[in-house]
Amino acid sequence: MCEETSAKQKVEISESVMSKNDRFAAENRKILRGRGLYTLNLISSPGAGKTTVLESMARYFGGRMAVIEGDIQTRRDAERIERAGCQAWQIETGGACHLDAHAVNHALGHMDLDSDELSLLAIENVGNLICPSGYDLGEDMRIGLLSVPEGDDKVLKYPSLFSTVDVLIINKMDLIPHLDFDVDRAIEECRSLNPDVNVFTVSARTGEGMEEFCGFVESGFLRNTG
Amino acid sequence: MHEMSLAMDMTRIIGEALGRKAPLERVNITIGPLSGISAESLRFCFTEIARMEGFGEPELVINHTEARLLCLECRTEYEVADFYQGCPECGSISRRILSGREFTVDSVEIDEDSE
Repeated sequence: MCEETSAKQKVEISESVMSKNDRFAAENRKILRGRGLYTLNLISSPGAGKTTVLESMARYFGGRMAVIEGDIQTRRDAERIERAGCQAWQIETGGACHLDAHAVNHALGHMDLDSDELSLLAIENVGNLICPSGYDLGEDMRIGLLSVPEGDDKVLKYPSLFSTVDVLIINKMDLIPHLDFDVDRAIEECRSLNPDVNVFTVSARTGEGMEEFCGFVESGFLRNTG
Repeated sequence: MHEMSLAMDMTRIIGEALGRKAPLERVNITIGPLSGISAESLRFCFTEIARMEGFGEPELVINHTEARLLCLECRTEYEVADFYQGCPECGSISRRILSGREFTVDSVEIDEDSE
């Protein structure tokens, strides 16, 4: 350590560690836009209700939506989506705690995306509030889903995610009477990271608020396709 | 635990930049508070991966940046690593994030004698 004798060489690199993922994300975006698909990246902790939200969306959008499911293991979630009426492709990460743009690129190669009716691709990320936040998948809309049993203090505990979401969904609103979750606090703290965030309070189980949210997504892809 | 795959990305980037594998003395990186990375976990993973990938046992030097924010109430620009802190001028948490997501490999130092 103290030998400053000779040939020490410093090599400047200055490269973002996410650059490879970001290149795949750009390619995905090109493929998806080329097929007229509007893409969602749905991120939450495990058990917040991502798949239940997607089942509810499947009933609203039907054959207009396809879904990529990300899980550590099992095709269970893809089967739930198929039963609800949409094409689903399951990515089993085998341990990885997030989806990356390369995995999504690979999934796109396996899916039937040629239907004229298809205009929406929803990607359900692996349940995790930290790791997925740094990985752009090529989405048009990033959605952070928070369920009320998790507590109203979660937003500022996970700023790397909630500072990047276009939409905050607060789910399981049917449980609010039994909990101390302060909805206004969660919204205010999310706006403190992200003043432009759109907020929806829903219960995917009862359907409360889902039509309003689906209408918002629909206006996004209708605007996209002109 | 995505730090393991990030550590592998780091060695790939270093290998591509150098065009070869060489025992490194030091690796300098920058991490922002919104990168979602645990520095200690990354340090642990990188130490293992660097050794396995033929880059020796470099010291990982982490430059922790703060996030730069713009207060939307009084337009003060300020820096924080902890998002519970409001604006130092007016206390508001109404703000826009200007930076803080950095995660870069900045440079590496090689001791040619040790090769």
